[in-house]
Amino acid sequence: MMSYLEILRLAAPEGILVLAALAVLGVDVGVTRTEPRASRLFITNALALFGCVVAFIWMLPGGHPGSVGGLFTVTPLTQLVKQALVVLSILTLLLSVETSFSEHLGEYVALVLLATVGMMLVVSAEDTLMIFVALELTSLSLYTLTAFNKSDPQSAEAALKYFLFGSVAAAFALFGLSLLYGATGATALPAIAAKLKGHALSPMVAVALVMIVIGFGFKVAAVPFHLWAPDAYQGAPVPVAALIASGSKVAGFFILAKVMMLGFAGLEGSGSWGRYAPGWIPLLAVLAVASMLLGNLAALAQTNVKRLLAYSAIAHGGYVLLGVMANTPQGVAAVVYYAMTYGLTVIGAFGVVAVVEARTGSCRIADFAGLGKRSPLLAGALLIFLLSLAGIPPLAGFFGKFYVFAAAANGAKELGLLWTVVVALAMSTVSLYYYLKVLKQVYVVAAPDGAGEINISLVTRVVLVVMAVGVVLLGALPDLILGRLVPALAGVVAGH
Amino acid sequence: MNWIVQNLWLIPGLPLLAAGLSALLKQRERTAAATLAIGSMGLAFVLSCVAFAHTLGGHGEETRHVFNFDWFQLGATSLKLGWVLDPLTAAMLVMVTFVGTLIFIYSVGYMAHDENFTRFFCFLSLFAAAMLGLVIANNLLLLFMSWELVGLASYLLIGFWYHKPSAAAAAKKAFITTRIGDVGFFLGIVWLYSETGTLLFYDNGHGCLEASALTKLVSMTVGGGVVVATAISLLIFCGAVGKSGQVPLHVWLPDAMEGPTPVSALIHAATMVAAGVFLLARVYPLLDVDPLNIAGRSTALSVVTWVGAVTALFAALIAVAQNDIKRILAYSTVSQLGFMMVGIGTGGVAVGMLHLITHAFFKALLFLGAGSVIHGCHEEQDIRKMGGLRAHMPKTFATYAIGMMALSGFPFVFSGFWSKDEILHEALHWDESHWPFYMVALGAVLTAFYMSRQMCYVFFGKYRGTAHAAAAHDAHQPVKHEAKPAKGKKGPQAKGNHAPAKASSRTPHESPDVMTIPLVLLAAFTILLVLVATPVWPWFHGYLSGHAAEVRVSELFAWDKLSVIGLSIILVSVGVAAACWLYWLKPVTRADSVDALEQLRPDVIGFLKQQCRVDEFYEATVVRFNAWAAVASDFLDRWIWGGAVKAASLAVLGVAWASRFFDEFGINLGFQKGCDGFAGAGGLLARLQSGRIHDYLRVIGLALTVLVLALVWGCRS
Repeated sequence: MMSYLEILRLAAPEGILVLAALAVLGVDVGVTRTEPRASRLFITNALALFGCVVAFIWMLPGGHPGSVGGLFTVTPLTQLVKQALVVLSILTLLLSVETSFSEHLGEYVALVLLATVGMMLVVSAEDTLMIFVALELTSLSLYTLTAFNKSDPQSAEAALKYFLFGSVAAAFALFGLSLLYGATGATALPAIAAKLKGHALSPMVAVALVMIVIGFGFKVAAVPFHLWAPDAYQGAPVPVAALIASGSKVAGFFILAKVMMLGFAGLEGSGSWGRYAPGWIPLLAVLAVASMLLGNLAALAQTNVKRLLAYSAIAHGGYVLLGVMANTPQGVAAVVYYAMTYGLTVIGAFGVVAVVEARTGSCRIADFAGLGKRSPLLAGALLIFLLSLAGIPPLAGFFGKFYVFAAAANGAKELGLLWTVVVALAMSTVSLYYYLKVLKQVYVVAAPDGAGEINISLVTRVVLVVMAVGVVLLGALPDLILGRLVPALAGVVAGH
Repeated sequence: MNWIVQNLWLIPGLPLLAAGLSALLKQRERTAAATLAIGSMGLAFVLSCVAFAHTLGGHGEETRHVFNFDWFQLGATSLKLGWVLDPLTAAMLVMVTFVGTLIFIYSVGYMAHDENFTRFFCFLSLFAAAMLGLVIANNLLLLFMSWELVGLASYLLIGFWYHKPSAAAAAKKAFITTRIGDVGFFLGIVWLYSETGTLLFYDNGHGCLEASALTKLVSMTVGGGVVVATAISLLIFCGAVGKSGQVPLHVWLPDAMEGPTPVSALIHAATMVAAGVFLLARVYPLLDVDPLNIAGRSTALSVVTWVGAVTALFAALIAVAQNDIKRILAYSTVSQLGFMMVGIGTGGVAVGMLHLITHAFFKALLFLGAGSVIHGCHEEQDIRKMGGLRAHMPKTFATYAIGMMALSGFPFVFSGFWSKDEILHEALHWDESHWPFYMVALGAVLTAFYMSRQMCYVFFGKYRGTAHAAAAHDAHQPVKHEAKPAKGKKGPQAKGNHAPAKASSRTPHESPDVMTIPLVLLAAFTILLVLVATPVWPWFHGYLSGHAAEVRVSELFAWDKLSVIGLSIILVSVGVAAACWLYWLKPVTRADSVDALEQLRPDVIGFLKQQCRVDEFYEATVVRFNAWAAVASDFLDRWIWGGAVKAASLAVLGVAWASRFFDEFGINLGFQKGCDGFAGAGGLLARLQSGRIHDYLRVIGLALTVLVLALVWGCRS
């Protein structure tokens, strides 16, 4: 029997964020509803940021590991990932300052915090029930956030599509999890793995596996479960799209890797070229290659920057799947590093898009013309973010790709997964084209007549600079993250 | 761990910061750029002195402090970088920062009227940062990165006046020529890493210069019985050959004089070209290992000695016949670098490094003096058009004379005498062959000769510039003025292109204090260094090897020392006497009169004057071969591979035509219907992103079916 005090201690960061969300709601609805918008913005954000910072500091020592009956596990690794999630949420909140899509500030901030709590619970969950509940908390918060721009029919449409697609995927995942329970009689991941070990892949488990992969594939927007993504990214308020693309993906990839590597340990199969054996690795290989191909090729044809980023996010999802397929500690390190740095970069890119959209009313690629002259800071930040996404050294994106590709190449015997890496490399080259297409508008094409300088609030300016510096710094000194990640990972691997 | 050891990175870090900041400055913010550059260099100098003080008084291995850190991890291995503070590093740091600071200050005067002043200081700071990074690196990779950055800075600075075609060409030549050596260097690095698994020099017994790695390297051989350690050493030496301008890759250094004179002084005389020698000193333990296990004798060191000796003599010969003041100094630098190589090869680190340090001071002095002369003579570089400057430029004359005597090796009070003497002594006692000694000795005679010749031409006799300059000025000056367009103080001459010049403005003048004070300081140090260089108190040797030096006056009178000292004096005297006999007794009176030596042997001197036609030789062989290979590759691409591709495409076309024929006449219309069906399916796929949610959901179902079938099918088979 676990003491409640222990549970509270382990789940303290999540608890702090829930309290912060409730406080924001209470204060905004109860006290400051009639105040002017600026002060409400300040108060709600200040409360939320305070909660986030407290939770972040709480997790700084890494916390000594513990587990609540296998439902909820805390290790240095989960704490590290949660810290990244909190940081990404902080950045999302700070970028929301620039937009003005809603009057319901308290609800908005509270939902962002609750989505973050959901992601953090996902990271810690090690039991199929817990995983499902946590995923649903995240998803439901994000659906609502997507619909938050009530004056824009596109926002509502996007949210409805996101919701319908997501609930069907969740239904599949739940079906898959219950089939798995039927096959093994267990809900904890290690117990499931123990039951499955030694048996060949039975048709029932195969169906369960595919259904679970559908559930997670939706979360990380892997082809062919990506269809909601372009519409949702385009329709959602920009900070929400940033959160969907960053935090939600970090959590999604982490739990995908965990379920596959822990829960389906022993059913890896083989995705090596010419040596197909059924299991989760070939399954993910199909999704990864399809994502890289479709994401990058479709991005070429986009004229809207938000849709372009959506397709590029699909492609990046494909790269990260390579790291999961490697099925090694090095692979997990690569996945976490990639997801974290990608999250940071993509929030930055969306931040710039948000400003441009707020000033020009839309975000077609053509609207970025002459940005280099109109706002050198925005343009410079966008340059760093997009080049990092394209994987140009010494930016963080380069090292992320390098680690993921290296992990995938070393993952299977005799470089069996090399074919996926070759696809990834070829597609990275393709991706450079559409990123540069945007940058060409920014730096080469002249601004339209009458377009003046773009003034940005101090907060946004500072946040963008901090993120750009972060992208450069993490690329030049990857050890800042890896130095903590690798020991944390070693502890987990030894533990299992 | 000591503060300075942990923060040694600040020494290259500060100039790097200055370079970054001044890159952001606007061109007109000159004071800020100069202040940043000189301030950061001054601070780096202070820190270097602290580091230097920290290395004093240690013994043996104690004097080496290492700081390593993880750069990034890759699976189980991690790539480590780090820096090392030992006497070798500290001595170089102090020399580079001190000489660098003085040259920075001097540049303020020399470049005062250049419109790209800010850019100049940005590049100078970048160079200083890279050079200092090279010095402190404890990792061959970090050293190589700095090495390449140094090369880049050198390229940028040689081509600083890039609108002059000769400067642009010289920059390109320097970059490409050194790159040839760097290929070898890089191969050496890769090989070393694959054999030892580390590129750290020192890492608590695991570094690549430490006993365990060296034992491993010396126990393996490649084809032909060459030890791996020797092969790697020779590859690394390739890099040193390129950077330090040794034969056969010396061709870039004389051309590099197209850069502004402070650049020639800092980069192409005092510091960067010495980087090759420093590299050899750094990896000396690797050069020194040999299966026979005799300290100071190995195949690699023999190669170093021979290359150095050939360079020392060859470059000195060419220097005799040159008429451009900077070109003479450039060949003299090549020659002196050869001396250092001989010193490293025969006598070890201390001998080579002592000459490196003393040479840095007096060669920087000579170059800055030459800059002052050029400045004073209105951008004239031809020594035949100078003369009698002793009276016009007394400070420059005095300091230049000190530099010249140090370089020639005038006995006793000049540091150059003792460091060169040391090299001669070691070369004489080299047991493999006496030829390097003869070559170096002849090189010493020639050094004394060409420097005395230059002194006679430049400072004695009568000024020969006035009459001819007016004529020559109009012919040459447009180019030079483009190079240095704004000349506030010498405004009248700037207009002199078009209007007849006033005679008064044609006379040479002394340079401003900001240029002469660095000269005086350098001259002082050229002499002061004597204190630590003599055999009486061989402090420098002791410092580098971590032993305390004792004062032993008797050392000076030991027969083997005394004989070399005597010989050295004779050599210098012969050289000086010959030059005086030729150029002092019969002073040159006209700028276009034929050189005294050329009258004696026009064929030999003519050949030397053309720099032994090495450039022409390369033009006829390497460059021609390269052009030929390009043509051949083009031919292969265009006709052989291109032909194959064309043939393939024709074959495909043929098949396509055949298929079409077969389609149209062999297959009936039913197939056409089938094709329509596929086209419809393609349209469906294209409408995948239709925006209709029920289509999206259908895709999930489809994917589920397909994936499950694939998995289950896999189970069956």
